[in-house]
Parts: sequence; structure tokens; C-alpha cells
Amino acid sequence: MKPILEVCHLTKHFEGLVAVDDVSFELAEGEILGLIGPNGAGKTTLVSLISGTLEPSDGKVLFQGTRIGHLPAFRRARLGIGRTFQLMKPFPGLDVLDNVAIAALFGTGGGQRRLGRAREEAAYWLEFVDLGHRARYRADDLGGPDRKRLELAKALAMKPRLLLLDEVMAGLNHAEIDEVVAIIKKVRSRGITILVIEHVMKAIQSLSDRLLVLHHGQRIAEGPPDGVLNDPQVIEAYLGRRHA
Amino acid sequence: MRPLGWAASTAVLAVLASVPWIASPTLIQFGITTLLLATVAQAWNIVGGYAGYASFGNSVFYGLGSYGTAIAMVQLNLPFGVGLALGAALAMLFALLLGLPVLRLRGHYFAIATLALALAMTGIVSNLEIAGRNTGLVLPLLKGDALFYELALGLLALVTLTVIWISRSRFGFGLIAIREDEDAAAVMGVNTTLFKAAAFTLAGFFTALAGGIHAYWITFIDPVSAFDITLNVKMIIMAIFGGAGSVLGPLVGALLLASISEVLTTEVSTAASLFYGLVIVVAVVFMPRGLVNVVRHFKRLGWRYFSENLRSHRL
Repeated sequence: MKPILEVCHLTKHFEGLVAVDDVSFELAEGEILGLIGPNGAGKTTLVSLISGTLEPSDGKVLFQGTRIGHLPAFRRARLGIGRTFQLMKPFPGLDVLDNVAIAALFGTGGGQRRLGRAREEAAYWLEFVDLGHRARYRADDLGGPDRKRLELAKALAMKPRLLLLDEVMAGLNHAEIDEVVAIIKKVRSRGITILVIEHVMKAIQSLSDRLLVLHHGQRIAEGPPDGVLNDPQVIEAYLGRRHA
Repeated sequence: MRPLGWAASTAVLAVLASVPWIASPTLIQFGITTLLLATVAQAWNIVGGYAGYASFGNSVFYGLGSYGTAIAMVQLNLPFGVGLALGAALAMLFALLLGLPVLRLRGHYFAIATLALALAMTGIVSNLEIAGRNTGLVLPLLKGDALFYELALGLLALVTLTVIWISRSRFGFGLIAIREDEDAAAVMGVNTTLFKAAAFTLAGFFTALAGGIHAYWITFIDPVSAFDITLNVKMIIMAIFGGAGSVLGPLVGALLLASISEVLTTEVSTAASLFYGLVIVVAVVFMPRGLVNVVRHFKRLGWRYFSENLRSHRL
């Protein structure tokens, strides 16, 4: 299948530190790619380079065949790239519904022009992530798990073609993780391509078609989940040499 | 706003418009000053309240509006209307040209940079021949406080309608997103640079018109008073006192603070500014989100509203 996202030799350094080091991969339309690696491996940096909150030092990013590495974040959002933030960024002064409505007002293709329609769409996405009952809460009054759902609803309301999920399951209990996994599967069934960063191995294993492993900014393994998780290099990266 | 809201607003506007026919000259003059202050506070609200960029450069817009009008009328013998348009155009150009670089700065840095612009303008204008250097310009005298009152009221209505539109439009939600979290806004697809510049320019437009009306009304301007930074401080205090980022906040704030200031200066002239300062400190401590927010939440929380605010300051 034609790739929706192509990342070629992407590199990012901050001063002396190389956060992402010559990483290349492709993402097929409709695929779920799991991005894993130990803390500090450069996963979030990679997502920021794709979504446009950071500019690459070197390399290319192609979305649907066009180079986007130089585009500002808002243009990439309009092309159809949506993301969540690991450190969640709800708009604290607004209620939950309007938080999602803003995403619907902008997002892919410039979004919905009318506030009324945007709020209707926002209500729909809140139901989709099971947060409808909190629509009138202030965003900063939500608890951790609900904030994760809100973050997800905001990204979905942008109607992205490519969704970048940065640790949407961190801090959730087993039941909550199962719910989020079910939501992500529902999203995929609509044809949205997903790149998901996650530390919860069981969840990412069941979700992903493929895994990409980063370590010290470099790609150390890529392939089907079962194979990758048994790769000695991957085990070593996570657990240290003597376990390998 | 619901039909009832529109009806009430129209009624208030009609009462306000009739003031020049029933009130004393002193009250009309107080009215003009207050309406112009409310206008500039409401204009500041667009960039400071909605977009969250605490501008100290809005007094520059005011000065440019004053000087644009004065130069057109005195030096070029053009009518007042053309002068207003020239002042507004100058301010919008200034907002766009300097806004684009300065609006890249965030938080305190933006405030400091705009403050520096305001100070620089006094120096620049003091050295311009066409602006009358540091002696300023004397405009033709027009006796007609009623006219200035109605003009100021019309302008306030216009800026308030604009803010009502902002509060429920895609543009306004984009500004709110920028205020709440600029990076998150950009990732959602908000063209932050364009939106901020538009907000700044819009504020410049209305503030300059207020400056132009004021210049013609008082018939004399000089660099120090036209670009007076305390005006900028006033608009910020009024907007925040009433509630920045709301439609009614700056209006309520301007009316109340202008009235309090007026009463204090006539009753206890010597200690007036002391009391004025005290009112503001108390307001910021007990109602940091403004008066409009108090009215909205007092019913539910009662006196706890104030004690919770006090506690959240960790004083």
C-alpha cells in the first residue's frame, strides 16, 4: 500500500545531544505503528518533528507524498496530522466541550467554520471517548484518566488522517487501558493511520501491526510485535546486557 | 446573546445616548472620558483578554490616533473624519509591522518589548517637525460636547459588538486557544501568527479612533500626554478589574473605576490615588478573574468565593 508517512534519515540535535539520530521508516495507510523504547530514547522528539512543534536538523518528512519538514505546525494540522501531548495540554479555562470544539473549528482542512456545528461535533467525539457526561466540566477540574480521554477527543475532533498518540495510557489502570485500547481500535476501523508511543507492553502488542524501537535516538529494531519484543538487542536496551 | 439580552442592551444604549440632553456639562465631560476609557479597555481586551498578550503598546495606538487626526487637521487642513481614518491607518500599520516581530515574544518579554515601544514613540514624535516637535499641536476648537459624547458612545458600541462577535466566532476561539496554550493551539491548526497580528491590529484600530476623538475634543496634544503610558496601565486595570476575556468585564471595570476615581478626587482629593490603589489591590486579591466572574459564581459559592481566591494566592 502507498505510504501515508515517510520519514527519511531524520535527525534532531539539541546543542550537543542527538535526540533523534538518522531515523527512517514508513507508515502505510490504515496501519498502527507502535513506537517504543526506554525513557529518553527520542520517541516524543520524533513525534514533535512529525507534528511540527520541533524543526528537524536534518532529513526529510513526507506526508502523502509531499515534504512537510519545513511547514509550521498549524499547516501540518490542516493537512491532517493530529497529535496528543504526553504532558496533556487541555485549555484549562474552558469547559470540556469547548476544548474539543476548538479542535473541530480548526484541524484538517481548516475545520468547521461555525461554532454551533463545531460544538455538535465536539459532543459526538466526547461520546466517542466516553466523556460525554463531563462536557460541562472545566478542563482543569478533570482527573487524570479523563484528561487522557479529553486529549484523545481533541485530537479526533481535528479529523486527522494520521494520529500521533503520545502515551495516552500512562497512569491508567487495567480496566481503563482496555477501554482506551478499544477506542483506538474503533479509530483505526475508520481508516485513520495511527502512530502510538506507549510503555504499556501488553496494550501496544495487541494494538500494533508493527513495532519500531528507538534507543539513544537510533532505530534498533522494526517488525511484527512478537519478533521485535524477542530481539536480543531490544531486550538489552530495556533491561541491560546481562538479561539479554 | 438572547433576544432579551439584545433588547436590554438597546435600552441601555438609548438611555446612555440621551445623557447629553438631560445631564450637566460636568457629567457629560465625565461621560466622554469614561466612554473613551471603556473603549480602550475593551480594545485592550481583544489582545490582552482574549489572545492573552498583555500589551503595554496600546497607548502607542492611542497616540498615533491623536497625532494622525491632529496632523491631518492642523497641517493638511483635512476634515476630522479623514484625520480619524489617517490615525487609525497609522495605528494598524504600526500594529502589523511591529506586531509581527514583537508578537513572537511571550509573557513578560512581550510586555517589556511593547513598553519599550511606547517609550520610544514619545522620543520619536518629539523630533518630528510635522508633529510640532515637543510643543505639540493645537487643533481647531469645536464647542460641542454632545457630539463628542455621541461619537465616543458609538465607538464603544462598535468595539463591544466586535468583542461580542469575537466571543462566539472561530476567530475568538482561536485567540482563546492561543491564550490558554499557544503550542497546543498551533498543533490543532490555529495560524497563531496571523491570529495574534489580527487581534493586535483590531485593538490598534479602535484605540486609535478613541485617541483621535479625544484629541479633537481637548484640542491640544503633545508627545508626553498623547503617548502617556499610564493610559495603558488604566486600560489593563479596568479590563482586569471587570474581567478580561469577557464581553462585559472591561465595560463594568471602566465605569466603576472611573466613577470611584472621580468621587475620590472630588471628596478626598489628597489621598485619592492612595484609595484608588487600595481598591485595585483588594480587587486583585479577592477577585482575580474580575467582577463579572464574581457575579457569575457568587450565587453558587457565596462568600467562599473570596476566601478561596485569598487562599489560592498563598498570602
